[in-house]
Amino acid sequence: MWLGITYAILWWTTQALIPAVIGFGVDALIGRDTGELARWSAVLFGLGAAQALTGVLRHRCAVYTWISSAYTTVQLTSRQATRLGATLPKRLSTGEVVSVGNSDIAHIGNAMDIILRGAGAAVAVVVVSVIMVSASLPLGLLVVIGVPLMALAISPLLRPLHRRQHAHRDLQGDLATRAGDIVAGLRVLRGIGGEQVFADRYRAESQRTRAAGVRVASVESLLEGAQVLLPGLLIACVTWLGARFALAGDLSAGELVSFYGYAVFLIAPLRTLTEAADKLTKGVVASKRVVRILSLEPEITGGAGAVRHGDLRDEESGVVLREGSVTALAAATPEEASAIADRLGRYSDGRVTLGGVPLADLSVAAVREHILVADNAAALFAGVLREELDVRGRGDVEAAVHAACADDIVDALPDGLDTHVAEAGREFSGGQQQRLRLARALTADPEILILVEPTSAVDAHTEARIAERLAKARAGRATLVVTTSPLVLDRADHVFYVEDGRTAAEGTHRELLTASTAYRATVTRGEDR
Amino acid sequence: MSRQILPVADKAQVRAYARRLMVKYPKQLSLALALHGLAALTGLAGPALLGGLVQAVADGEHDANVDTIALAIAGFVIAQGILTRFAVYASSRLGEKVLAELRQEFVDRVLALPLSTVERAGSGDLITRTSRDVDSLSRTVRHAVPEILIALVTGVFMIGALFVIGPLMLLPSLLAAPLLWISTRWYLNRSGPAYLREGAAYANLTEGLAQTVEGARTVEALGLADRRRDRTDDDIRESYAAERYSLSLRTVWFPSVEMGYVIPVVATLFIGGLFYTQGWVTLFQVTAGTLYVQQLVDPLDRLLSWIDELQVGSASMARLLGVANVPDDRAPSGASPDGDAIRAEDVRYAYREGHDVLHGIDLDVRPGERLAMVGPSGAGKSTLGRLLAGIHGPRTGAVTVGGASLIELPLGELRGQVALVTQEHHVFKGTLRDNVLIGRPEADDDAVRRALEAVDAWEWAEKLGLDAEVGSGGVSVSPAQAQQLALARLVLADPHTLVLDEATSLIDPRQARHLERSLAAVLDGRTVIAIAHRLYTAHDADRVAVVEDGRISELGSHEELVEAGGPYAALWESWRR
Repeated sequence: MWLGITYAILWWTTQALIPAVIGFGVDALIGRDTGELARWSAVLFGLGAAQALTGVLRHRCAVYTWISSAYTTVQLTSRQATRLGATLPKRLSTGEVVSVGNSDIAHIGNAMDIILRGAGAAVAVVVVSVIMVSASLPLGLLVVIGVPLMALAISPLLRPLHRRQHAHRDLQGDLATRAGDIVAGLRVLRGIGGEQVFADRYRAESQRTRAAGVRVASVESLLEGAQVLLPGLLIACVTWLGARFALAGDLSAGELVSFYGYAVFLIAPLRTLTEAADKLTKGVVASKRVVRILSLEPEITGGAGAVRHGDLRDEESGVVLREGSVTALAAATPEEASAIADRLGRYSDGRVTLGGVPLADLSVAAVREHILVADNAAALFAGVLREELDVRGRGDVEAAVHAACADDIVDALPDGLDTHVAEAGREFSGGQQQRLRLARALTADPEILILVEPTSAVDAHTEARIAERLAKARAGRATLVVTTSPLVLDRADHVFYVEDGRTAAEGTHRELLTASTAYRATVTRGEDR
Repeated sequence: MSRQILPVADKAQVRAYARRLMVKYPKQLSLALALHGLAALTGLAGPALLGGLVQAVADGEHDANVDTIALAIAGFVIAQGILTRFAVYASSRLGEKVLAELRQEFVDRVLALPLSTVERAGSGDLITRTSRDVDSLSRTVRHAVPEILIALVTGVFMIGALFVIGPLMLLPSLLAAPLLWISTRWYLNRSGPAYLREGAAYANLTEGLAQTVEGARTVEALGLADRRRDRTDDDIRESYAAERYSLSLRTVWFPSVEMGYVIPVVATLFIGGLFYTQGWVTLFQVTAGTLYVQQLVDPLDRLLSWIDELQVGSASMARLLGVANVPDDRAPSGASPDGDAIRAEDVRYAYREGHDVLHGIDLDVRPGERLAMVGPSGAGKSTLGRLLAGIHGPRTGAVTVGGASLIELPLGELRGQVALVTQEHHVFKGTLRDNVLIGRPEADDDAVRRALEAVDAWEWAEKLGLDAEVGSGGVSVSPAQAQQLALARLVLADPHTLVLDEATSLIDPRQARHLERSLAAVLDGRTVIAIAHRLYTAHDADRVAVVEDGRISELGSHEELVEAGGPYAALWESWRR
């Protein structure tokens, strides 16, 4: 970082000295002193070479600073996301965290970069000012005062520019969303029509965006014009005054050329300083957001107890998972069922015991290793399918894929299980994703597996097969299936029927069908009426 | 990276298109160019006038008209400022216009993509084109093209000015030309792929972070923390390698170019000075020449720094134009259907050559009946559904409506006959009303209401209001409600035959049955082919077709099939118990 600042200072300074050297060169020229001219030309060449060298060194430092701050931010954020786990979606909007990757890291990187360049620019401004004032006080003062004044004169344009740019960016974002929306819903549109409506709507928004773009351009062009005009006027003043001094003999002709050069040069570092103010502000805002995310703590904390084998029991609802059996849970509403699954898997606090020990006394990591809750919201990550299914790296993927009736999905992929799949949502249908999730849970082969509606999006034939294969795949281990499908319920060793958060009836599927009308109504979907 | 499925336009197509764009608005283009030219021309006055002043000072001409010269400099600067303003404005306006047209044409092309392509290709590739490529093309049109044009115009005028003050003064600058040329060629040959790699690596990194964040609960549940960490580290490593490589290219190119800028200045000063001592040129020529050469750096720098953006832009353009290269899959033959009966005869179909998924299917769909198709996943139900909806043509055999082949009907005609709703549920950004109106844009609120009632959605829809903004950024609508909307659209569109592929799969089982019954009431008289995963749909249908391994293994009413004691009966038995 300090190295970077040093290079930046050297880089700016070499640029700042160039007008002076050209001035000396012109003086030598006027004196027809070839030796002197050669010397100053050599110095100029040296300065140019130094500028090229320090320029690229500075650039390298800047890039390294930028990427190292960006990478560190991504690394910290990603680690924090894995640490927060299930707490993250409850406490933060995922979009907010994702935007760290999309924009915040760039702002932080830019801020780091501008510190380097800004420091150099500040030094360059001082150096040039000192040179000028010592060469000619009035001319020096004219430039030293004139250039910042000029920068100030442009600043009233910046606010409307930023406002319009902002409005334009928003419209552009909306337009991009609209296009993405059209693509995502293209099947629907091509299926039943409505293309013209969407084409017209896109066209209208596109034209609105264009109008906003033109509004930005109108301020931008004013700014461009002002950036030519104002420095130009200052340069004209400098030239005028300088020429008068030169004629009076107070200034050499070379120095006149130098002053012209200084006035032109100073515009750049001043622009950098204005830019610095803006980028630093954005960088601070971005860092604050990252810091806020980093300061969150996971909601669920556990004790240090080691996991003991035994039944898993939810006191509140009375649901019990016995070792080595397939238990099913049918609830009157899906919400009740998922609340129980969350408690059993310790995603929320509850009076739950494992082998008689409160779950809260055990370490969270051990609980996660022992109990797996697989629901339909679970993400399927991009990667080689085999690795993505075998998350614990020791399972029998083929057997699990077969048990989940997902063979046809795998067969359809060009390289089978070794195919690299992009984000699942883009590649697989809802029913396919569900079966892949099931295959993943079965491959993980935990002591206790809790499956929430694992077959809600597959057809009856497949559902029947899955129900049959599931029991075999889970033989000897405890499994809870949350479902209302009679095909699955019929295969369970024991069924709990929950209403209003409590067990209303339990037994086998067939016992419950005769014993509980409410149960029958829930699982047969009013079939008999 | 998602697989690329759609075609990409070739270089000749891109070039032809770019040429067409350039000459499409000749007036606006020549105005912008003329303004930039004039601005550049006025910008040339400063150094010339200063050179004159220096000459006067050196000659000790005390009567030199300093005031007039200074005023002249000021005058030219004012003119240049004003011209620049209008030049930038004119070119930006033109740019925005062209840009708007480009993206609109692209969306039109997307909306005209053949049905079969849309159904087959995942949306990943198209989404990338819509977002990343449109963005990068915007950057090119908005910044790179005008910057390059300005740089060219300014550069040409400056070289012209140098020539005017003295052709001799041009010679020293030529020293740098080989260096600039060789190093830039070297760089450009490598930079394109390098920046593509850099961009891809960076996108991968942010995408990986997004997946970790969105799947945070899954990461915890499955103990994936280490794996996600490794993935981030790998992505960073790849991104770092890509950045280092492109940085190494710049490490060579930047100093070469900078030297290329310095050499002409030094050379003009020194060699010009020597010429001056020889009396070949005047002091004015050397001073003005040096200043011009120094100012030439700016347009040159602009030109060089935007040129690789131009490469990236043309690659994006190729992908955007490529969408139009998908051949049309429908060949309207002018045949018109006589009646509503849909019929499949010895239909075979393969997604990959040599791998038939349907093996000679014969099916007569009776007008007005409800036909349920059941069978295991992968048996070919959905494929058959798409063929019956006229989205794909069969490999052999024929699917006809009233005797006319479905694939030979123009799209508009087809939609009046058959429509397909799949379990894919997409809620469009817009109001609730808009989402239903897609089916029949001219329908009134009453019709919308009836359609929503038919799919049991009126209760929640009324609560939200038809004007409620839904879809991306609006009120969130559950997948089940989204399916209801899809069905309401279909009710409104009202074709005589509907193919429903798992169209109620995401709706709560108990509600789904009610919905299907009320839908049936509304669709009375329409033919419904329902691919179902719940057996009560089959139970409620007039006929059931059991599809297994690409064949219809059983066909008949529910009662007949239960009676027959085949696979359907066995399944029904286990469901019923």
